[in-house]
Amino acid sequence: MTSAPENSPGDPTKQGKLYSSALAALEGISNDATVLVAGFAGCGIPQKLLRGLAESGVSGLTLICQGAWIQEPGDFTVADLVGSGQVKKMISPMPFHPVHGGAVKEQWESGELEIEIVSQGVLAERLRAGGAGIGGVFLPSSSGTRFAEGKEVRQYDGCEHVLELALKADFALLRAQAADTLGNMVYDGTARNWNPTMAMAAGVTVVEVDAVHHPGGIDPELVITQAIFIDRLVLSD
Amino acid sequence: MPGTHLEPASVAQRVSQELFSGAVVALGPGLPCYLPDALPDTSGVWFIADSGALGSKGGEAHGSAVDAGENSASLLSGGSFTGVVDVAGILRGGHTDIAVLQPSQVAANGDFVHWTSEETAGLFAPGSAVDMAYGAATVIAVMPHQYPGGRSNIVSQCSLPVDGAGRVNIIITDVSVIKVTAAGLELVETAPGWTAEEIIAITDAPLTVSSDLKGMTFNVPTLEPTNKVYSSAIEALSDVLEGSIINVDGFAGPGGMAHYLMVGLRDLGVKKLQLISNTAGVARVSAFGVPNIIDHSILVENNQVVKATASYPVSPSASRPSAFEEAYNRGETELEVVPQGTLAERLRSGGAGVAAFYTPTGAGTLLGEGKEARIIDGKDYILETGLRADFCIIRGYKADTLGNVVYKGTSRNFNPVMATAAEITVVEVDEIVEPGQLGPEEIVTPGLFVNRIVVRPADFSAYLEI
Repeated sequence: MTSAPENSPGDPTKQGKLYSSALAALEGISNDATVLVAGFAGCGIPQKLLRGLAESGVSGLTLICQGAWIQEPGDFTVADLVGSGQVKKMISPMPFHPVHGGAVKEQWESGELEIEIVSQGVLAERLRAGGAGIGGVFLPSSSGTRFAEGKEVRQYDGCEHVLELALKADFALLRAQAADTLGNMVYDGTARNWNPTMAMAAGVTVVEVDAVHHPGGIDPELVITQAIFIDRLVLSD
Repeated sequence: MPGTHLEPASVAQRVSQELFSGAVVALGPGLPCYLPDALPDTSGVWFIADSGALGSKGGEAHGSAVDAGENSASLLSGGSFTGVVDVAGILRGGHTDIAVLQPSQVAANGDFVHWTSEETAGLFAPGSAVDMAYGAATVIAVMPHQYPGGRSNIVSQCSLPVDGAGRVNIIITDVSVIKVTAAGLELVETAPGWTAEEIIAITDAPLTVSSDLKGMTFNVPTLEPTNKVYSSAIEALSDVLEGSIINVDGFAGPGGMAHYLMVGLRDLGVKKLQLISNTAGVARVSAFGVPNIIDHSILVENNQVVKATASYPVSPSASRPSAFEEAYNRGETELEVVPQGTLAERLRSGGAGVAAFYTPTGAGTLLGEGKEARIIDGKDYILETGLRADFCIIRGYKADTLGNVVYKGTSRNFNPVMATAAEITVVEVDEIVEPGQLGPEEIVTPGLFVNRIVVRPADFSAYLEI
């Protein structure tokens, strides 16, 4: 792990955990990696990092993400990565829009892409457990549905709870509004979404940021994701 | 000739009649997203978008904000942003009064299917619908009565895999209002121009007609935020009952401790309290240089405490035992020792609807005795359960009148997690401000967790007179 010296002079974009390109920031990612991708609808998607992932040419990826529902013209999203044939599996609560399904729907229908559907809150909790060192959690949601099939069920407070196990990934691709060179981060609105949770749950955490400050440039009371969770930063386009 | 189908805005107006002041209302994608526009911004209803917007409303976007339907969203004054894991906790942890969803099918027994069709039957989009359906006290299904082709969305039995088993309480469609009862579906209201017979004819599930069948109305209720500001600690804690379990914030020293509320609790004199807290009162004996600071000890010395659940229950100085230690040694109190991280995690679980969790902390030690042990992926874990209290007293820096709280420095400590894990959360602050004066990115504890607010009086001293 690298860190910038405190109060270092000069351009903060040349320091600390900052990498010069998305491809460089994704160094070490390999075929068949499991990758967390932040973003909710069009909000907070690490587009440059997804492009970098496409450029890297790795394949057989398992992506854990909200889904590929909305795509504005010119955007580069999970759907594009699926379209490039690099994704083997998606784990998602909203994998694609029933009507505007695009590449995700096509590949799912043709059997090229496996999709595991999960409830959003359960996915979030499993990632949180992974990031916080919890082995598994008993959750009330989903008893009596397909989401509970094959899982251990116990009664607590008179209702059924389902055991869900922790989830971790090799890489996390995140998007923040601003970071300092140490990796302390803040977000804009609902672009926060999966970022703080995913930041804790991956071996290597890479963040695409719109602005980089020197340490101290972000009010300590406002930091949402702490630098200890962040390995690499890259500036967005 | 039946009447016309209601527009989404009219359906939203009818749904608004199910809401109440201060209600926490989770919205799924689709028709539910019309609801915030039906009410004035001052209604005091908290709309939760699973994108992470608390207090969302329609209209112009606030920066990068979307609602559950992925439309641009803005926030009410006093709204704030959070991440999806905290939204899940709000949904699951008993903090959500009403969930409003647009299922694609609802069955006679209240089962529902969310955003799935025959075309993509193997694939579906639960989003947060499952969490909402299982976490909310009441689930309202808002949907067109029929598919565009004329097929009924209300069926005897779901033809697709269900996302919630028996979870729907009320169905509000573009032509009717139907209650889900133990005996099946009951038609209670019809839209203008529609007769009960016409609605039965387009519904696949059997409908009984209420003896009190009414026409749907679209008047929006007048709702106002509930008043959370109390004049004194005693007033804010007057209904604490003997034997109550109370979360008490604070780390060790004087920072982040609700001294004024503690004095109120002592003056009320209520007995047999069980405290959940990091310490059981050590500030007065430890080396913080302020031995006469108010802490838990004032309750212990007043014979009000019968149990503590704590991670640092003893004084760091053996020669200067805390009041709690002395009471414990006299056999007057019980003690449950919990490692600090486990204490925080148990409270977080209690607040987020996690019944139990496997933690590595304490496995193979005295702390794991009597608890289930389990090996997951080759690692030893023990099972710990969620923890909840009747009351919670916390210490903020500032709050707005809706109960949003910000903290200062490490006085944040246990406050945000404890606030989620009690029936009644009371916050003591230096200053109360108007909604909107605390920024939506700055709010740490959203007001939906806070029931009561008191200002620490300017002349209040956190030190005992000695």
